[in-house]
Amino acid sequence: MLTETVRETHYVVGDWQAAAFATGPADRARAEAGVAAAYASAGLRPPERYLWVPSPARGAAVAAVIAGHGEALEKAGLDVLLEQARADLGDGEAGPSVLTDVRTRPWEAERAAACSEQGPEQWPRTWAETGGLLWGQVQALVTRVRGAIGEQAQGRPGRAGNRRPSPEEDAAGALLRAATLDAVLGQHDGPWLALFESLGRLDGPLAGLAEVARSAGWWWPYERLAILSERPGELYRDEPGRLHRGDGPALGYPDGFALHAWRGMPIPPDFVASLTGLTPDRISSEQNAELRRVMLEIFGYDRYLAETGARPLHRDETGVLWSIELPGDEPVVMVEVVNSTPEPDGTHRTYYLRVPPDTRTARAGVAWTFGVDEADYHPEKQT
Amino acid sequence: MYRQGDVLILPVPEEAVPQSVRGLPPSPRDGRGRMVLALGEATGHAHALAGPGTLLRTPDPLVPDHLHLPSGGRLVHEEHAAITLPKGWYRVIRQREYVPGSVRVVAD
Repeated sequence: MLTETVRETHYVVGDWQAAAFATGPADRARAEAGVAAAYASAGLRPPERYLWVPSPARGAAVAAVIAGHGEALEKAGLDVLLEQARADLGDGEAGPSVLTDVRTRPWEAERAAACSEQGPEQWPRTWAETGGLLWGQVQALVTRVRGAIGEQAQGRPGRAGNRRPSPEEDAAGALLRAATLDAVLGQHDGPWLALFESLGRLDGPLAGLAEVARSAGWWWPYERLAILSERPGELYRDEPGRLHRGDGPALGYPDGFALHAWRGMPIPPDFVASLTGLTPDRISSEQNAELRRVMLEIFGYDRYLAETGARPLHRDETGVLWSIELPGDEPVVMVEVVNSTPEPDGTHRTYYLRVPPDTRTARAGVAWTFGVDEADYHPEKQT
Repeated sequence: MYRQGDVLILPVPEEAVPQSVRGLPPSPRDGRGRMVLALGEATGHAHALAGPGTLLRTPDPLVPDHLHLPSGGRLVHEEHAAITLPKGWYRVIRQREYVPGSVRVVAD
């Protein structure tokens, strides 16, 4: 009995994780049926028109125009974006936003009911076993997408620091970001939907919202119009789930709206390609500490250490401690750790872990990575 | 103390396990009925144990996971040799890396 419930939760979370990170064309018929169902359970007639846009960025621009911000976008010089949004919107009336009726109110009601049914002790546990497992990774993505939508207001997205945005661009960026707050997050509502489903609460008023989330990206509900966005066409993440790709956008929508990132760190679109022929000198002269960290990772710590003739700070049976001095920054101190289990070819894989700059011995470094004291770190077996 | 790649398994006396942890419901097993201590998301490679026992996780990510093996167990991973663990209570610690301004957890 218990096993059955537990397995279900496991699959529920897995399914919503898959939905949250799903790529490829939306299932438009299913998504529109979901929207209609969400309207119906809010006591509303379905929207007269469904407008499909290729990315949440295009959707946010249309939403900003509907909210009456066309002029502000024009003042910021966003003519192309504005023209596109007006063309997307066409002549039909949108009517007022019905976000509160369709999403906010039923969502809050369901959450409050679930919370009081579970009680103050069980509620955080249920969250931790369901939505909590997905929240960090999904929310990081949502935050990045929101940020990038706002950055469209600047001349060159992604490369901050080249030029200060004008006050008009700042204002337009804020309005575009605000337009994303009027959206239902569709697939990115996965964490909460995992919790609701695990408690058997997706059959009621939230059924329509869940159906859209399984089929499409972000969407904006108005009385007479629903704007729905496609899902990304490509999404690349590293093992801990951070956006990560060296040879293209880590997240890309069909219209070219994209995010570039290396192990979660935002990088300019052409950054990795610009690193051919990278040298240790170029790395140490990069002013931006985050970009420098990316350069070091791409160049390879081992190669950097070899080419700069670095000498180990310390060596013992747990590994080797290295340091890279960087002008105007704290040194990069790393332990080189050896995997005890040999690779199929008999060699032992080594890996580098950055440790606090005041680390003095290899053992202290490895012990720190596990949060134990240097004196206590003595594994009796390691593989 | 046992280390399998990026996971450290630290034996602890039963009385050192907080009461709030012991009262937790066991963490769900995976589709193959195993307790998964840590999972590499992209590779699907996992530090895992089959057999009797409970893995206890608090919602607070700062409180380490605890593992109870009433009759011992065998910790396996696709890329590391298996480790035989005697019966008892363990604290499960995931390796982390220093990042200026924050700390990130390593996943292999």
